[in-house]
Amino acid sequence: MVESVDDTTPLPSTNIWLTELQAILQGAVGGFLFGIPLLYTVEVWIIGAATGPRWLLTVLATTLVGVGLLTQVEGFRQTLHLHPLEALLESIEAVAIGVVCAALALVLLRRITLDIPLSEILGKVVFETVPFALGVALARSTLQGKQRRDSGTDRVRRTTAPLSRRLASPTLANLRDALVDFDAALIGAVLIAFSIAPTEEVPLLAASLPPLWLLLIMGASLGLSYAIVFASGFTDRAERRQRGLLFSPVTETLVAYLVALVASVVMLVLFQQLNPSDPWSEWLSNTLVLGLPASIGGAAGRILI
Amino acid sequence: MDLPNFPDQLPPDETGRFTQRSAAEWVTFIAASLILLGLIGLIFFDWQTNQNRPPAFSVAVSEAVRVTDGRYYVPFAITNTGGRIARMVQVTAELHITGVDDETGEQQIDFLSGHETKAGSFVFTHNPRGGDLMVRVASYRLP
Repeated sequence: MVESVDDTTPLPSTNIWLTELQAILQGAVGGFLFGIPLLYTVEVWIIGAATGPRWLLTVLATTLVGVGLLTQVEGFRQTLHLHPLEALLESIEAVAIGVVCAALALVLLRRITLDIPLSEILGKVVFETVPFALGVALARSTLQGKQRRDSGTDRVRRTTAPLSRRLASPTLANLRDALVDFDAALIGAVLIAFSIAPTEEVPLLAASLPPLWLLLIMGASLGLSYAIVFASGFTDRAERRQRGLLFSPVTETLVAYLVALVASVVMLVLFQQLNPSDPWSEWLSNTLVLGLPASIGGAAGRILI
Repeated sequence: MDLPNFPDQLPPDETGRFTQRSAAEWVTFIAASLILLGLIGLIFFDWQTNQNRPPAFSVAVSEAVRVTDGRYYVPFAITNTGGRIARMVQVTAELHITGVDDETGEQQIDFLSGHETKAGSFVFTHNPRGGDLMVRVASYRLP
C-alpha cells in the first residue's frame, strides 16, 4: 500500500513479483474505495468493540464465504480463468488484504491505539474487514471500468475543443487535459466525501488526533492517491504518455490533493460543520480528516471518469 | 517516471501461465494465511482469557485537584478490571461538606472494555479537600 509506492522502479513486464505487487496494490485500493464509507462510521466501531469472540469468528467466516462467491466471477488479479481451488486461495488472500488494510486504516484514524484492549481491537478489525475484503474481491471490475470502455476505437472522455486545435497547440491541449483530470478528481472527491461530510465522525475523529498525527493523515492521503492512479498501473500508460502530461505524476497528485482539500472545506462549510467562530485548528483537522476519503475518491475519479 | 507494465499488456501466450500459480502468488498466499491464522488465534486467545470474567470497576480519584476560575477540577480514572465489556457505565461523585449543600457530579462512559481505563474530571464549586468526596460506579449494562 502506501509504503509500497516506492517500489515502482521499472522492471521487465514478465517479473512475477512486480505483477503480484500490482495485483495486491490493486486489491488494496479496491478495499479502500469500498471500505472508506464504513471506516467513517462510528456504529461499526461500536458494534465491533462490543462483539464477543464467537460472533467475530462467525463474521470472519461469513466474509470468507461472501468473498469466495465474489471471487468466482471477480477478483483482484487479472486472471480470467480460475480453477475452483485457486478461487478459494484467492479469496483467502483477499480477506487477508482486507484485514491488513482495515487494521492500517484504523490505526491511521486512531481507532486502534496501544491503550485499547485486545478484544476491542479485534472486534473493530473484523467488522471493518468485511467491506475492505469485499472491495478487494471487486477490485478488478471496479477499477477497470474506464479501460473496458476505452478499449474501443475512440476515447469516451468528452473534450470541449476540436481535435485539430489540440494538435496545433500541444501546451494548451495538455493544460486542458490536466483540467479534465482535476475536474474528474473533484467529481470523485465529492462523490465519496459528500456522504461523510455531514456526519459527526469527522469532528469526532479530528478531535482525537494529536497535532502531529495530521501529518500522517496527509501522507496517507497523498500516498493512497498516488498509489491508486499511478503505482497500481490502472491508468492506460500509453494514453498518459501520448497526452504528454503537463504535470509530473507527483505534481498531479499534489494538485489533486489540494482540489480534494478545497472540496472538503466547501462541503464542511455547506453542512455547517465548520463556522467562522471555530478555531483555525478545528478547520485544519476537520478538513484533513475529510480530505482522506476525498483524495481517495479524487484518485478513483481520475482513473474512472 | 516509468511505471510498471499493466498485466493486461502481457503477450497472449503468457496468459496460459495463470492457470498455475506463480511463486509470487504462493508467497502472497502463505503470508495471507499467516495473517488470517494470526487473527483467528488472537480471537481464540481473547476468548479464553477474557470472556468468562464479568465487568468489575476500580475508580481512582487523583489528589492533584486543579483550581481554575474558582472551580475545583478533580480528575478521576476508571478501569474495568474484569474481562467483558461494559456499556453505559455510570460514575457518580458526591461531595459532603458540613454546613454546605451537597454537590454531586455524574459521568456516563459509553464503552469500557476489559482492562480499559478512561479518565475524566468532576467539577465542584467548593474545595473537595475540605469535605468528604465519594466517587463510585452506580450502574452499567452489558452489550
